[in-house]
Amino acid sequence: MSARHRIHTIYWKELIDILRDRRTLIAMIVVPIVLYPLLMLGSVQAVTAQGESLSVEQLVLGTVGNQARGRLLRMIESDRVALERRKAEAEAQGEDVSELPEPLQVSKVKLFGSEEALAEAVATRQIYAGVVFSDNRLIGPQHYDAQVTVTVRADFEEIRSSFAAHRLEALIGRVNERMTQTRLAAERLPPQFFEPFVVEEVDLSSPPSILGQILPLILILMTITGAIYPAIDLTAGERERGTLETLMVCPVPVMDLVVGKFLVVTTVAIMGAALNLASVTATVYYGGFDQVIASSEGSLRIGTMLLILLALIPFAVLMYAIMIAVCSYARTFKEAQNYVTPVILAVLIPGGIAAFPATRLEGIMLVMPVGNMVALTKEMLLGGAVGGWDIAMVLFSTSLYAAAAIAIAAGIFGKESVVFSDAGSFGSMFSRRLLKRTNAATASMGLLTLALLFPLWFYVQTALSPREGESAISLLQNSAWLMGLLFVGLPVVLLVYRKVNVASALSLRIPSPRYMLGGVLVGLSAWVVTHELAVFQQMVVATPEAVVNSSVQMAEALKAMNPLVVIFLIALVPAICEETLFRGFLLGALRGSGRRFPAIIASACIFGVFHFFIFKFVLTASLGIVLAYLCWQSRSILPSVIAHFLHNGLQVSTIFAPEWQQWIGIPTAKEGAAEWAHLPFHVLIAGGVVFVIGIGICRTRSLRGLRTPIVASAEGA
Amino acid sequence: MDDKAITMSMLVADNLVKTFPNPDGGEKRAVDGLSFTVDRGQIYGLLGPNGAGKTTTLRMLSGLMTPTSGTATLAGFDVGRDPMEVKRVLGFLTANTGLYQRLSPRELLIYFGQLYGMAVQEAGARADHLIEWLRIGEFSHLRCGALSTGQKQRVNIARALVPDPPILIMDEPTLGLDVLSNRVILEFIKRERDGGKTIILSTHYLDEAEDMCDKIGLLHDGQLVAEGDLASLRGLAGEQRLSNIFLKLIHADEMVGAITG
Repeated sequence: MSARHRIHTIYWKELIDILRDRRTLIAMIVVPIVLYPLLMLGSVQAVTAQGESLSVEQLVLGTVGNQARGRLLRMIESDRVALERRKAEAEAQGEDVSELPEPLQVSKVKLFGSEEALAEAVATRQIYAGVVFSDNRLIGPQHYDAQVTVTVRADFEEIRSSFAAHRLEALIGRVNERMTQTRLAAERLPPQFFEPFVVEEVDLSSPPSILGQILPLILILMTITGAIYPAIDLTAGERERGTLETLMVCPVPVMDLVVGKFLVVTTVAIMGAALNLASVTATVYYGGFDQVIASSEGSLRIGTMLLILLALIPFAVLMYAIMIAVCSYARTFKEAQNYVTPVILAVLIPGGIAAFPATRLEGIMLVMPVGNMVALTKEMLLGGAVGGWDIAMVLFSTSLYAAAAIAIAAGIFGKESVVFSDAGSFGSMFSRRLLKRTNAATASMGLLTLALLFPLWFYVQTALSPREGESAISLLQNSAWLMGLLFVGLPVVLLVYRKVNVASALSLRIPSPRYMLGGVLVGLSAWVVTHELAVFQQMVVATPEAVVNSSVQMAEALKAMNPLVVIFLIALVPAICEETLFRGFLLGALRGSGRRFPAIIASACIFGVFHFFIFKFVLTASLGIVLAYLCWQSRSILPSVIAHFLHNGLQVSTIFAPEWQQWIGIPTAKEGAAEWAHLPFHVLIAGGVVFVIGIGICRTRSLRGLRTPIVASAEGA
Repeated sequence: MDDKAITMSMLVADNLVKTFPNPDGGEKRAVDGLSFTVDRGQIYGLLGPNGAGKTTTLRMLSGLMTPTSGTATLAGFDVGRDPMEVKRVLGFLTANTGLYQRLSPRELLIYFGQLYGMAVQEAGARADHLIEWLRIGEFSHLRCGALSTGQKQRVNIARALVPDPPILIMDEPTLGLDVLSNRVILEFIKRERDGGKTIILSTHYLDEAEDMCDKIGLLHDGQLVAEGDLASLRGLAGEQRLSNIFLKLIHADEMVGAITG
C-alpha cells in the first residue's frame, strides 16, 4: 500500500473522529465565530467612543495668575463666537458643517501660584493641561512686533491630557489665523500675501483602519486556538486512551501517522479560520459600524480575504507541526495543555512585533517564524504591494520550519519511552533526596537550562545595548560579569544541586598535549574559515549597513582603551564562559546520547542562536561545530577554550595592530565593502592547511576519563 | 503427523534482553536473556507474577519495543530488520488497549483493515465477517465509547483479527472480564488455535493457562525459570496444580540463588 493511500485513510478516519467530538466543534466553531467578532467589535466600539467623547469633552484647565486666566477665557469665548458665526454662514450657504471645528468647552480654569504648582497639577491629573503666557501684554491687530509665547503644559502619555493639549493648540492656531486676516485686511493685502503656497494633502494610503492593524493578530490567534484541542486530542489524547499502542502495532510508518494527523489538524484549523474570516467580514459589513466600514472599505474585499486565507495555510502548517511535536511529548491531555500554553505565548512575541504599525515585511522579518506571516497579512490588508520574491521567501522559510517540526514530531511520536512511559513524573525529577551522585548532566537538564538561560541572556543583551553617553568599557564590563554569572554560575549551581560532579560534567580536565596543540592550530586559523564563510554569507544575505556601522563604531571605541583590558573582556572572558556553558555543560549533557555529530550540531546551533543575530548565526554556529568537535574528541574544554581565545584575540588584534594583516598580504579594509573580499590565495591555503592539521591532530578520540560501564559484566554473569 | 515434521517454528525468541533506565541513572533488566520457540497451531502460555517481564516480552515480539539485545523472528521475519513485515503477520491484543471512542465497531474494523492495506470493500466484507463471527452485530453501529468492557474486548479481538494474521499475541486478554465474557473469549482462542494460528498468551490466571496452553513458560524477574507442557512441569516440580508448581519453582530458584550466590 502506498504512503498516500495510508495517509489518506488516516486522514479521513481522524477527521471523522475529531468532528464527532463536541469539544472540538465548540473550540473550532462557537468560540471563534461568536467570541472573536464580539471581542473585536467591542474594542473597536470602545476606542471609537472614547475618541469621540474626548474630542468634545469639557476640559479642566489651569493657569498661573488671574490675568492669564481672564485672557484664556476671553480667547475661548471669542473663538466660540467666531466659530458659531462661521457655522451659521456655512449653513446659510448650504455647505457641509460637519468638518468645521468644534468650540472648546471648558468646565473650569483653575488658578495656580506658580508654574511648578501647575506642572504638579498636570502630573497628578487635577487638570488636563496648563496654559502659561510668556507675558501679560495684550496684543491687538496693530501690535505688529509683539509676540507672546503660549506654553501648553500637558502629559502627552496620558490620553485626556494630550487631547486637551491638541485642542488648545488648535484654539491658538485659530486665534492666530483670525488676527492675521484682520491685519491683512487693514493693510489691504490679499490672503495670498501671507501664504504664497498652500499645502493640500491627498491621502493615497488605503485608510489605516484599526481593523487592518489588529486583524492579522486576531486571525493568527484564532487559527491557533482552533487547533489546540485537535492537536492534543490526536497525540496525547490518543496515548492517554490507550489507542496509540494499537495503532503502533499496525504496519504503518510513524511518519505517515504524524503526517495524516497533522493534515487533519491543519484542515480543522483552516476551516475554523475560514469561518472566522467570513464572520468577521460579515459583522463588519452588516454590523452598522459606519466608521469601521468606511475606513476599511479598501482592505476588506473578498479577494483580499481569500488571499489572506491562502497565506494562512503555511503558517497553520508550521503552527500545527510545532503543536503536534510538543503534544507528542506529553503523556496526558493535561500535560499537553501545559506544554501548549508557553508555545502560544512564544508565538505571540514575534507576532506582536510584526503587528506594530512601523514593522514592514523586510530584512529579518522575511524569515522570522510567525512574524513574517503576520507582517505579510498586514501588508496585504493595508493594501500594500507585496513582491513575489518576498512572498516566496515567507512561504519557503515557513515551510522549512514546518518540515523540521514535523520531522521532530515523527521522531518523538513513535519513541517507546513516550508510548509506554506509565511511570515517572516531574515531581521525582526535583526531589534532591532521591538523586544519586552522577558524573554528567542529562540531556533534558542541559536543554532545560539553556532554555531558561535564553530569555535571561536575551534580556541582558537588550538591557546592555549601547546608549548615548555610555562608555564602551562599562558595557563590556557589565556584559563580562553577567556572562560569568549566567554562563558559569548558573550551570555550576544546578550541577551542585543535582549532585553532579562539576569537574566531570563540565569536562574540566587536562587533556593530552596533542589536543592542546590542535586547539592552538585551530584557534590560529579559524578566522580564515569564518572570514570566507562571512564572504559567502554576504553574497546570499547582505548584512544591513546599520550592523556594519555599529561594529565599526565599537571598534573605534575600543581603540581608545587598554588593549590588555579589551583582550580580557572580548577574548578571554567569552572563551571561558561560552566554552563552559556550550561545550562543557551542554555538549557534556548531550554526550550521553553517544551520537557525536547530532550532539555537536545541536550544541553549535544553540550556540549560534544565543548570539541573537541572524547575520551572525551561520558564523557562530560553524565556529560552534569546530569548538564542539575539539571538546568532544578531547573530553576537555581546554582545547576549545584555547581555540576560542585565539580566534577572538586575533579579531581584537586587528583593531590595535592592523599591520599584521598587511604583513601576511591582506589588503587593509578602508571601506566597509572591502571587508567582504576574499582572502588572498596564499593566506587561504596556509590557513586552510593549519586548520586541517589542527582538526586532524584531534581525529582520534581520547579515552581518558571515560566512565566505567556499569553493566559491562552482566552479560557474562 | 508429517505436517509436524516440516513445521518450522512460527515464532523464535533468541536471547532477548530489555533494560530500562532507572530514574537514578542505573538500569533495570526487565527481560534478561529470554529464549523460546512456538510452533504453528500451538498456544504458548507466558506465565509470571506482575513485573516478571511478560508485557515487555510481548511488546518486543510485536515490534513496539526495540530489544536492547537479542532477536526475535516471526514467520521468518526478523523483528529488528523487517518490523513492517512482522507487524503484517501479527495480531496484537492487550487488556488495556483502547478503542476509538467516537467510531462504531464497524467503522473501526474497516479503518484497521485499510491500515493493513485492504481496499474499502474488502475491509468492509472482512469487518462484516468478524462481526458475525464474534457476535458483535447488535452493537456494531454504536459508538465504542458506549460499549461494556466485555463488548469492547470482543471488538478488540475482532480488531486484532482483521488482517487474518497467522500469529496472535495476547497480553492478558481476559483481565477484568466477567466469567461469561471470559469463557467466550477463551473458547474463541482455542478455536483459532485449531484453525492453525500460532498464539502467545500471557496471563497470571494460572487455571486459565492450565486449561488452554500447549506449552508453558514460567517467567520470573525477566528470566525463564521453567518451560514445557503441563506434564513435564508437573514432573519437574512434583506438584499437580500449576499454581503450586509455579510457587515451588520460583521458591526453589531463590533457594538455589541463596546457596550459590
